[in-house]
Amino acid sequence: MSQDTTTPSNDLGWDPTDPHGINPHDEAHQGHFIADWRMQIGILALLLFFTAMTVGFYNLEQWVETSFEIVLPKWINIVGAMSIATVKALLVAAFFMQLKYDKALNTFVMLFCLFCVGLFLTFTMIDLGSRHLVDEYKAPQITSGGTGIGLNSASADNDFAVVISPKINTGGMSIVHFARLNGNSKEHGLLYYREHDDEATFWAHFYDGHAVHRDELDEHDFFSQLGFGHHAPTSSSNASHPRHGLTPGLFSDVYPGAHATESHGNGH
Amino acid sequence: MTMIDTDISGVPARILQSPKHWRNAKHQSHWRTGDEEFDAAKFGMWLFLSTEVLLFAGIFCGYAIFRMLYPDAWANGSHYLDWRMGAANTAVLLFSSWTAANSVRLAQLDKQFWFKINLIITIICALLFVGIKFTFEYGVKLPVGKAPGTFFSYPYAHDVHEPLWWSLYYVGTGIHAFHVIVGAILFALVLWRAHRYQAYGPTQYTLVENSALYWHIVDLIWIFLFPLLYLIH
Repeated sequence: MSQDTTTPSNDLGWDPTDPHGINPHDEAHQGHFIADWRMQIGILALLLFFTAMTVGFYNLEQWVETSFEIVLPKWINIVGAMSIATVKALLVAAFFMQLKYDKALNTFVMLFCLFCVGLFLTFTMIDLGSRHLVDEYKAPQITSGGTGIGLNSASADNDFAVVISPKINTGGMSIVHFARLNGNSKEHGLLYYREHDDEATFWAHFYDGHAVHRDELDEHDFFSQLGFGHHAPTSSSNASHPRHGLTPGLFSDVYPGAHATESHGNGH
Repeated sequence: MTMIDTDISGVPARILQSPKHWRNAKHQSHWRTGDEEFDAAKFGMWLFLSTEVLLFAGIFCGYAIFRMLYPDAWANGSHYLDWRMGAANTAVLLFSSWTAANSVRLAQLDKQFWFKINLIITIICALLFVGIKFTFEYGVKLPVGKAPGTFFSYPYAHDVHEPLWWSLYYVGTGIHAFHVIVGAILFALVLWRAHRYQAYGPTQYTLVENSALYWHIVDLIWIFLFPLLYLIH
């Protein structure tokens, strides 16, 4: 090497007499940020506070809905939970991961990654939201409830029936209906209760909670017999109750025997 | 030699003379300084963490789409989960994130004893998280048939798309729990090397820093998974 060793090393940014830095440098690691323990414990306290806040917000919202019998708009739930989560994420990234004190390059990598995540989500939504512009019949794919076609429900046309899995044969029913009839090793299904002439127990458990309509397998209308019909909230001028899951007949093809007996409609 | 003023009295010669002791550690010869090696390793870690974010972005994207399509299944699914377990696990992870950040600081300050204590607490929290998850969540849901896809056999489901909810729940939390276990293994490695060689100190703590970064991203992902799965209905 015809290097002029008299050149001041600070012009080069590296030491010509030791180009590979094999000898230890006195200034090694001196520039590294060492966090203050008081700052760290403060961040932990803030994070725990925000966790309590998001849980509190969730419970407050549940309490308001049940106490005042109103239905809050869904975006309150989502925006509340996700904005608190974002604040927590920023605290962790900036202080625990030290992005605030670190080289900007590392922050840039993460921001670029988040930009890609944004692209990913945006184009997926554009795709889902515009299929009907290409093929009109695909419009129901983006509506609530979808087409109802999937692994969980059998094909409406037997010629195109899908075998859900080689391990399970639901006989054309959706897995959910199959499970309701047969149960599992811990929870008995409807067939077991029918055998023991105790169907009311099954339906009492099934409807307990938030049921607002009679299930199609409930042939003897235990929904009304057990008095659940009265609990279904009705809309009024200042409280609108969406009837989740009411869509009659949307999935009725998945269990061919469901139409056999009794009349529909009383339970609504 | 190094100018860092640290107390080495009481450290056995066997450990002080080990080539793996932090005072004796040399950076690889293709780096000009240990600082450059450290920065490159950290930058590489951040690149890896960004791929981790993209991995979970797929799960979040699936969540968004299916929630939009099957809001009833998602509302029911969220109500099957106990927010108290989710909140407990959130607190456990946040606390362990703090001890992980502490362990980096203590390595930088060459406080070997408290450094190891913080590593041990982090590992215990990781095991606690996985323990709570498997015992009080998976352990009570799987036996009653709240299982993903074709394994579903819960008789009291109200919506035909609930098996899909469980698929997303188990894949999302399962991959996350796997990351927690990997993080615990990383910290166990750091702990072993710290105990055996005092391998980490003010001039050499790359693996501590990168393990902690990994741990923080695992925590960060849970910060989003928790409200999405447990609180949003």
